[in-house]
Amino acid sequence: MSTFGFSEEQRDCLQEIINVAMGLASDKLARFLNTFVHLQVPSIALVGASHIPAEFENRYQDTEAALVSQGFFGNEGVRGEAIVLYQMENAHKISALLGYEVGDVSEIEMLTDISSILTTTFLNGLADQIENSLSYSAPRVLSSVKGDLSSLLRSTSFHWEHALKVDISYQLVDHSFNCDMILLIPGEAVTNIQRILDRILEDY
Amino acid sequence: MSHAWLSSPILAQLNSGVIVVDDEYQIHYLNAFVERHASLQLSEVQGKSLFTVFADLPEAWLKRKLMSVLDLNTPAFSSWEQRQYIFKLPHLRPITSSSQYMAQNCSMLPLNSEQSEQPLICILIEDATDAFVYQQHLSKTLIELEKANRQDGLTKVLNRRYWEEQLKQEIHRAQRYHHPLSLILFDLDKFKDLNDKYGHLGGDFVLIQLASFISSLLRDSDLFGRYGGEEFGIILPDTGLDGAVEVAERICQAVAEYPMLFNQQTIRASISMGVAELLPKQHLLHDDVIRCADMALYNAKRAGRNRVCSYLAGETEYQKKVN
Repeated sequence: MSTFGFSEEQRDCLQEIINVAMGLASDKLARFLNTFVHLQVPSIALVGASHIPAEFENRYQDTEAALVSQGFFGNEGVRGEAIVLYQMENAHKISALLGYEVGDVSEIEMLTDISSILTTTFLNGLADQIENSLSYSAPRVLSSVKGDLSSLLRSTSFHWEHALKVDISYQLVDHSFNCDMILLIPGEAVTNIQRILDRILEDY
Repeated sequence: MSHAWLSSPILAQLNSGVIVVDDEYQIHYLNAFVERHASLQLSEVQGKSLFTVFADLPEAWLKRKLMSVLDLNTPAFSSWEQRQYIFKLPHLRPITSSSQYMAQNCSMLPLNSEQSEQPLICILIEDATDAFVYQQHLSKTLIELEKANRQDGLTKVLNRRYWEEQLKQEIHRAQRYHHPLSLILFDLDKFKDLNDKYGHLGGDFVLIQLASFISSLLRDSDLFGRYGGEEFGIILPDTGLDGAVEVAERICQAVAEYPMLFNQQTIRASISMGVAELLPKQHLLHDDVIRCADMALYNAKRAGRNRVCSYLAGETEYQKKVN
């Protein structure tokens, strides 16, 4: 942990940046989706690769969850993966949210669309504040079958030991729709983020 | 040194389509890839609406996507896996691919440029035809594999493992909905003699011929499988004992009257059949029903072959007396 340990200043700075990004995202999303978007104060943590599967497992133990992944990368070695998790019982609410006609798009397309919107809106806000700009991979549904989530994650061999994990809950009030977004910034990219944070702190 | 001059030749060489439209969906630019594939000239379509130039576009859907790009200043994506293509373009493998149009991955990216007063969107079109073709091969192979996994290699009826699985499910269904269910087990009479007389190829031939002939006599819902060697089973959902005996009698008689021509010789065969009906209170496992049908089959053999015997409730051992 020592290499990736965050100082208190760094942590506060990151928390502040994320809070502002969330505010921006929630405002934009509310206008785009015509509904109030409630985002809970995110939790930030450094996690070990070995803990990731168990964590997902505990969280979605008895529900059918879909998992959509989208990679992002920017300047100065900022990179990571955003994972959006839905409980499948929520999925049908998305089409109304996005203004699609019933039968117009497949469930998978709705999931990737809403994920991409939630992820990129938030991350663009984050990138703006650290004077960066991000590119994104196309979103992909990784799993939508009950129970195979943790086995999928277990079968993934991580090439990093620790990752910075940012956990955000989205709640759309009108549609009683909610989902979780988890940003994972793995390995070397964490050090790069720290370097950026230090630079911001110096500017104050 | 500025590298700005590079963008133009690279855009022309790029093996992806680039289309730039504004917030009113008017075309500002398209690169050579799009020009060639769609047989268009930029000079002819510049300033025209994207939806006029490409009349086949899913307009409402695409507008919604493009709107999100503008409103949120974020990219939007479309994958060939959900929507095979957005733009109806021919692809570069007309000979080796079965799809008519280029499968596409499309990205719609917000373009922030100081040189344009209007907000612009860049639509990137990547040819995913190869991935599409591989996926099709894979799906086809998986279907075949699944079929092979259910089928008996020789006779093409269900294999034992799959047939037993189906039996378990059918029993479960019958018990749940209180429907009758019957089972026929049958065995080729004197198969060893057939093998001795016509060789193993002759024996196999008879199994193949009879399996296919009997399949043609069954309903779609009946499940016909090879239980082992020359023994077969038929699951008859929604059928009581009387109905099942009737089916068995018909098959037994038809088989006896069915000549098979092998190496210029006519082979005649007969079968012995045992029929049992699922008794919900006694048959708790699928093995129980099989055991009862097997008992009846044994009786049919003992009774002189080429006949049908049914299992009678309460029977616990094989009939001792041979008729």
